[in-house]
Amino acid sequence: MSDSAILTEGLTKYYGDQRGVIELDIEVRPGEVFGYLGPNGAGKTTTIRLLLDLVRPTTGHATILGLECRRDSRQIRRRIGYLPGELSLYENLTGAELLAYLGHLRGGVDRKSIESLAGRLDSDLSRPIRTLSQGNKQKIGLIQAFMHKPDLLILDEPTNGLDPLIQREFYRLIAEVKAEGRAVFLSSHILPEVERGCDRVGIIREGRLVAVETVSALKAQALRQLEIHFATSVPLEAFAHLAGVHDVTVENGVLRCAVVGSVDSVIKAASQFEVVNVINHEPSIEEAFLTYYGQGEKHVA
Amino acid sequence: MLRSVFLKSLRDQRRALMWWGIGLVTLAVMMMLFYPNVRDSGAAMEEYMKSFPKELMALFGGEFTEFTSPEGFLNSELFFLIVPLLFLIFTITAGSSAIAGEEEKGTLDLLLSNPLARWQVALEKFFAMVIATLALALSFWSGIAVGRVAVEMDIGLERVAAATLSAAILGMAFGALAFALGCISGNRGLSIGVTSAVGVMSYLLNALAPMVEFLSSLRRLSPFYYYIGADPLRNGLSLGHAGVLIALSAALLAVALVAFERRDLAV
Repeated sequence: MSDSAILTEGLTKYYGDQRGVIELDIEVRPGEVFGYLGPNGAGKTTTIRLLLDLVRPTTGHATILGLECRRDSRQIRRRIGYLPGELSLYENLTGAELLAYLGHLRGGVDRKSIESLAGRLDSDLSRPIRTLSQGNKQKIGLIQAFMHKPDLLILDEPTNGLDPLIQREFYRLIAEVKAEGRAVFLSSHILPEVERGCDRVGIIREGRLVAVETVSALKAQALRQLEIHFATSVPLEAFAHLAGVHDVTVENGVLRCAVVGSVDSVIKAASQFEVVNVINHEPSIEEAFLTYYGQGEKHVA
Repeated sequence: MLRSVFLKSLRDQRRALMWWGIGLVTLAVMMMLFYPNVRDSGAAMEEYMKSFPKELMALFGGEFTEFTSPEGFLNSELFFLIVPLLFLIFTITAGSSAIAGEEEKGTLDLLLSNPLARWQVALEKFFAMVIATLALALSFWSGIAVGRVAVEMDIGLERVAAATLSAAILGMAFGALAFALGCISGNRGLSIGVTSAVGVMSYLLNALAPMVEFLSSLRRLSPFYYYIGADPLRNGLSLGHAGVLIALSAALLAVALVAFERRDLAV
């Protein structure tokens, strides 16, 4: 099992003139949880559908678990679990029926595995899928991806529509998969999602892989928008010259600033005044990675 | 019923099949019950029919211009237009939605993430359509069989079976065209539209060819000719003609499988 879970070389896809993905070189190591981060439309789903042989590359190629994505697709699909990004299920079946069907297509799946997953994700399998909310459909999508204990999980926006409690259970499942030495490739457009369970993160923008970083390195570089409300007005000078702190403004006792990496220095400086509230705006990816995305924007402008 | 793509495809159609079956049996029985009136009015009926322009008669009855014999009645009232039309509606709907319908609903991604070859999925869905069509043929035939006893019509059931099977085979050929267009384009609407247009043109070509000189040489291009041109109700199933339709279906199926195997699937 020393083969890479996923290895792509110059993987490129154009739909006619339209860009899908360009020259992707991605490696997901055995037993690794790899986050694939990028805004909507960046090419995440295209990458995943190339890996599953649902669309074919214009140039370049990819292997999964040492197998050729085009030639050995059937063998590959036996060993992976896949959650589509825009999940569509057979609405006329119940959850249990759908999972039974997909289980049969895989040549049989352990019932206990399905029941255990359904219990942990709090999924009601007895109801027709058309009556389920988006989040409850997503749970069934997750169960079918995990149920046969695949060697590699490919999950496109897995936490879509899940409430926070179920999200936590999802990350526990991911941790267990990793502990068993199996690999995960998960895409997201939200930074905190990939921070939570991933070892490394690849960032895709306009079809190109712009960086691959460990999560700790990402956190150190991420730009956070911080807002602190004070009981009284505070002097700007107390915050203006802190290292890694930018765009500081103070207005009616409200401090706003952008912080690279840890917000520790701002919090420590704030503690000498009476703090009413601290708001940490979840940055969009574009905001979070000005370092990566900033260059691209120059090209655009 | 959820053990394979083939069985699930039949399961998905079970309600539609039930209603189609009921409809076809009802149609067959009703038409048969109407037969004694036609038979008894005999010459008067023939006379009345002759008052219509022969082009108009050809449009709805082709060369079947005699209505009072059992064969004449069944051919002109059922087998020339209504029966193939119904089979075509069913098979075009089923064939176009087999792959393209699932692709448009977005469930194809999930289905093909399983360890199945694309051609295998397509083939299983095609055979489900064939079996469903044969089930409809059986229900129509049984309706005729019931009506035949009720009105004491003098016609062999094996001949009715031959004509019904011929219609089912015609339906299968158009189903194969709809299926292939769906596999090639992933577009259900396009598949239904094009196949229906081809169906109407084929029907008109076969129906009007005996009337219109420049069409008569083209008649052999119409699948409808191979369905009813040899009059299976009188002469039994022509293996040559049925063979043409089956070969056409097989060729379209092959094109469908190759095209589906090669192309990019839509999200």
